[in-house]
Amino acid sequence: MTKSIAITGKGIICAIGSNPDAVLESLCAKHSGITRFTHLESCHSELPVGEVHASDADLKRTLGIDENREISRTSLLGAIALKQAISESGLTPDILDSKRVVLISGTTVGGMDITERHFGSDCGDCSYITSHDCGSNTKEIAELAGLQCRCLTISTACSSALNAITLGARMLLQGEADIVLAGGTEALSKFHLNGFNSLMILDTDRCRPFDATRRGLNLGEGAAYVTLCRADESLGEIQAYIAGYGNRCDAFHQTATSANGEGAYLAMQDAIEMSCISPEQIGYVNAHGTGTPDNDRSESAALRRVFGENMPPVASTKSLTGHTTSASGSIETVISMLAMQNMFTPVGAGWEHEDSDCIKPAIEPISKPLEFILCNSFGFGGNDSSLLLSEKPVCLKSDKIATDVIRTGYCKIREEDELAEVRQYVPAMEARRMNKLLKAATLTSLKALQESGVDKPDAIVIGTQFGMLEQGEKILQHIADRGEDSISPTLFMQSTHNTIAGALAIRLGCHGYNLTFSNGDNTREDTIEEAKRLITEGKANHVLVGIHDYMPEHFCRLYERAGKSVDGQLYSEAIIISSSN
Amino acid sequence: MDQLIETLKEQLIDTLNLEEITAADIDENAPLFGAQGLGLDSIDALEIIVLLERNYGIRLKNAAEGKDIFTSVANIANYVAANRTK
Repeated sequence: MTKSIAITGKGIICAIGSNPDAVLESLCAKHSGITRFTHLESCHSELPVGEVHASDADLKRTLGIDENREISRTSLLGAIALKQAISESGLTPDILDSKRVVLISGTTVGGMDITERHFGSDCGDCSYITSHDCGSNTKEIAELAGLQCRCLTISTACSSALNAITLGARMLLQGEADIVLAGGTEALSKFHLNGFNSLMILDTDRCRPFDATRRGLNLGEGAAYVTLCRADESLGEIQAYIAGYGNRCDAFHQTATSANGEGAYLAMQDAIEMSCISPEQIGYVNAHGTGTPDNDRSESAALRRVFGENMPPVASTKSLTGHTTSASGSIETVISMLAMQNMFTPVGAGWEHEDSDCIKPAIEPISKPLEFILCNSFGFGGNDSSLLLSEKPVCLKSDKIATDVIRTGYCKIREEDELAEVRQYVPAMEARRMNKLLKAATLTSLKALQESGVDKPDAIVIGTQFGMLEQGEKILQHIADRGEDSISPTLFMQSTHNTIAGALAIRLGCHGYNLTFSNGDNTREDTIEEAKRLITEGKANHVLVGIHDYMPEHFCRLYERAGKSVDGQLYSEAIIISSSN
Repeated sequence: MDQLIETLKEQLIDTLNLEEITAADIDENAPLFGAQGLGLDSIDALEIIVLLERNYGIRLKNAAEGKDIFTSVANIANYVAANRTK
């Protein structure tokens, strides 16, 4: 059986516009939204960013909510973009009530802006902390947009939003939902501005993706969502179709990319193979193109492997929007849809000097019909994803493989004194950087794999409600106590929720599917469900599943004061889920 | 200079979490990076940049600058002695 997946609506807010029409206008004019920030409360005025031109109070007014209600900018931006997508696709409350609707949102920062505002001067009930985690963020967005539906949250760093859209398409193909609203949101925070700065990959000038003089990226913020449904059940006008997708792991390094762009290459190949088209049919590539020396070189290598001599126009619009991290995948999907609908190839700004290690990006928009557009989105942990959009319907396999799903390996650790054993598996130079949670996850995963007799799983799916909070707490504490200077790069590069999934992929050499859920109380259930989904789709025979959480002392206290009891004790559970075929 | 070298060794062990190494294990003239030496990597180089900024008021503009300076503990000590502002 095959089905086509349609996109019937879109919403976007970012530095170059607060709705699709405004963004289109900026794209046509090659207008860059990268400037000095005015709303972010940081001392780093030397760092240009792509900031949304609205204060939190402005955003609250747009949404018609009480200005005194404390709510994270990530949620505000998300709700604005989500409401646009709902409205554009003509989803009335009646339709939403009568269909199985799922909201899938990608974020990493979540409620960080609020947490960092209070951290270190904590008094009162600390209720703000209950919106810190990514899962709460998605629920808050649903509430603000008036949606009562199932919520899923993906946190794979900078590829989060693209993976959210991909998961939406997969759930529709498998008949698990009727309407999916998918995308991502991320607001600027001191936390990640300083974190990226500690990695020395922020440019103090406007970024110049693929240029020989590029020195790094500019952070941005924003949100974008699309409405997805099965094409034959579409209620509104269809704007584009999903033609293919790929989610792969570079399995090379936590923050660096492999020289030949293996993960990126495999993700693009998967997307193209799914659609049964040839690369020459792709009329435009919206590259990940961050402007860091490393990413652009590696992505260029991967693009050259895919397209050879027939390179289509490639551009990175991050020189206009800034790198909107977890939201970038959906923001650039919406930009790609605008390109398709208006028949032109959006380009970035600032490219002047050719680099022989890089592709030469398109610098002027070309007017032409675009049948297929490829959109790349890569993240820390080597989380590389690619989405192929089509102007016409493309049939995608929607079969369910008839197989039983069985547990072939299992291990669980709750006691910290068991972690010393990690040195039997990991050399000292690697173990020195691992926090408790990563040590536990490594141990449980390797032991579960041993029990199942599987050397290398086909996919890795991790669930974590709070992510690498040990790192997060230390960075927040550092900023509260000592200000924004001298943050440890090691702490930051391991602070994203998908650190565990990435580290396991590197250890196991696993280039397969790699996904991290952060879904509040449903995290365990949704993560296991994803493993079963991968097997039913025929994408994997053996999936390494992990449920890992640990809440350090200070966060435990904040949650207690907020009147929410949390189990701060280490929890690390690895399950090998296999097909019985 | 010997005192500075010893201090730097302790600071490196502490900053880079070299849990199973003591100052006596580090030869100040041996390479810090790569398989021939201590086996540090690019992330360690970023940590050393932070260390120099925090403890000696030395600010490097980009990661590449560190390449010629971080060859050995002795070389870092020379650079610190010549450029420290605190």
